[in-house]
Amino acid sequence: MGDEHTTAAGIPLPPVAGPSDVAPGLSERLGRPGEYPFTRGIHPGMYRTRPWTIRQLAGFATAADTNQRYRMLLDRGATGINGVFDYPSLRAVGSDDPRAASDVGRGGVAVDVTDDFDDLFAGIPLERTSVSLVSSQPVGAAPHLAMFLRAAEGRGFDRACLAGTSQNDFLMETAITIAPEALPPAASFRVECDLAEFCIREVPRWNPISVTGYNYREAGADAPLELALTLAHGRAAARDLIGRGLAPEVALPRISFFLDAHSDFFEEIAKFRAARRMWARFVRDDLGVSDEKAQRFRFHVQTSGVTMTARLPHLNIARSAIQALSAVLGGTQSLHVDGYDEALSIPTEHAALIALHTQHVILWETGVAGSADPLGGSWLVENLTDAMEEQAGALVVRIEQLGGLVAATEEAWVHTELSKRAFADQQALEDGRRLVVGINAGLDDGEGDVEVAPFELPPGALEAQRARIDAVRARRSEAAVGAALGELAAACAEPGVNVMPAVVGAVAADATLGEIGTVLRDSLGRWHFPLW
Amino acid sequence: MTTDLERNHRLVGKAVVAKLGMDAHWRGVIVVAHALRDAGMEVVYLGHATPEQLVAAVVQEDPALVGLSSLSGNHLEECRAVVEGLQAAGVAGVPIVVGGTIPPSDKPALVEMGISAVFGVGSPLRTIVARVGDLLAD
Repeated sequence: MGDEHTTAAGIPLPPVAGPSDVAPGLSERLGRPGEYPFTRGIHPGMYRTRPWTIRQLAGFATAADTNQRYRMLLDRGATGINGVFDYPSLRAVGSDDPRAASDVGRGGVAVDVTDDFDDLFAGIPLERTSVSLVSSQPVGAAPHLAMFLRAAEGRGFDRACLAGTSQNDFLMETAITIAPEALPPAASFRVECDLAEFCIREVPRWNPISVTGYNYREAGADAPLELALTLAHGRAAARDLIGRGLAPEVALPRISFFLDAHSDFFEEIAKFRAARRMWARFVRDDLGVSDEKAQRFRFHVQTSGVTMTARLPHLNIARSAIQALSAVLGGTQSLHVDGYDEALSIPTEHAALIALHTQHVILWETGVAGSADPLGGSWLVENLTDAMEEQAGALVVRIEQLGGLVAATEEAWVHTELSKRAFADQQALEDGRRLVVGINAGLDDGEGDVEVAPFELPPGALEAQRARIDAVRARRSEAAVGAALGELAAACAEPGVNVMPAVVGAVAADATLGEIGTVLRDSLGRWHFPLW
Repeated sequence: MTTDLERNHRLVGKAVVAKLGMDAHWRGVIVVAHALRDAGMEVVYLGHATPEQLVAAVVQEDPALVGLSSLSGNHLEECRAVVEGLQAAGVAGVPIVVGGTIPPSDKPALVEMGISAVFGVGSPLRTIVARVGDLLAD
């Protein structure tokens, strides 16, 4: 803790906040809920009229295995789907690739062909269940979406009616999650925006980009850098899409965001509030767009995985609940709470249920959902919201000076800032400036050694995926696949051509995820992470 | 500024450090690599390496330590492939350590296959550096 009395990001904390800690002009900075600059929330009635979506992350082994977990969560009171993929699937590497073997179905569900999406969403009422696809990397997001659309349309759903999200974030591919053979930043960003443009024109209820500040934070950012990278990414995407001739009033409401709920309670609430205000100001003042729907910063929140401890694992239930509360007090639209065992494995069914019902405790028992922005006007929270805006704003200016977020990634500025902060954060744990129960505090001898059984992966995912790929290859026309993949390569090679229709065409011809990924990498390039 | 790590531990030699399989998390491995470097080691960070690539790098670099990282749950299969690959290549006596999201219940299997130390989530850097120091001294 030390004697400095700052937030986790170093913002000074007054011993007690008072009126003099809040700059003049607060009412203009606040507005009313549902009105510019949206500091107090994006809807006038907030949770009275629209509770946040309870969207618990799930994904492991095969699509059939994961479908059971989806149904269990929906049966027990989840209100949306949040589907996570294994690492090979995220990167559009086939389950039949030798490099993928040990990761098939681990940390997420394995998908290779449209049939996997048939199984994944079997029996799920897509007309009333929004589906978040945690297809974090554009190289995988594009074919995932094409397979999802083909599967949904095969069940008779009109793509214009489908609601959901593709995470689709080029920073995930090029800075946040390390990958062999990542697309280069500019190419990954192009695919991201191609997917977004395609959806805005053809899948109008889909959120085609979810800027994943969450993962920027988990990789090492502090709250101001998380916010700055998020906003800088949103700016880049907004400008690109408008540059493609899309009307801002149509394109901007489709950009969504995803933030972390970390442990510093008031700093996190300040971050959520500042995010809305900063985005609204950018849209109104920099882009000159007065439509209020285009100014609204809509976001999902996940509690912080890196704050989970392996020792005293049940304490993670308390930790996550407090983090989740900060997200609700900060006005999130959607929420995932981590399982208590996630420092050991992906969540067991028990941990997933406890996490799900933690959301119900907040929604039904605590009364915090009854009034919009309940901490608005708190001298401390307003002080921190202003400070967060100032610090993140300075970083956004810095990124713009570097030429924008794509250039800042190419130059390794993003990687350097993240790893620098990650190391500093660990040093603060090492020397006790930061205390975490189960890491460097609260551990008497043996006390932490309560064992929880880790998640046991259902066996057979690798064999099932390989068999499924073989079956699809046996039924398809190789000539049609070859032609469709040739069209994809041609689209990639032509700047200004949207690759998404060709991805849809390749999926229609039963090209596999790995085959599509290989064409994208061969055509758009492979990039080495500047981490070390 | 002299850090706690530098005061308390001086390590010498080279470490080859790699990510296993297709696991995507780099935060832990990069932080630990920095700590080993600050403690005096020369760190060769490979990023992702297949067992074959890792063995080739170890043969070429002749390190005093091999450091592996995984947070995706692939550690049992990947560590076994690395250990067997190094044995097949005739590499002997180089301690192999692994860190990441590894359930304590997997530790005996890792030790039995020839992993010298397992560092789960929350392992302090000073613990890792001290344990590496012991392994290098053995």
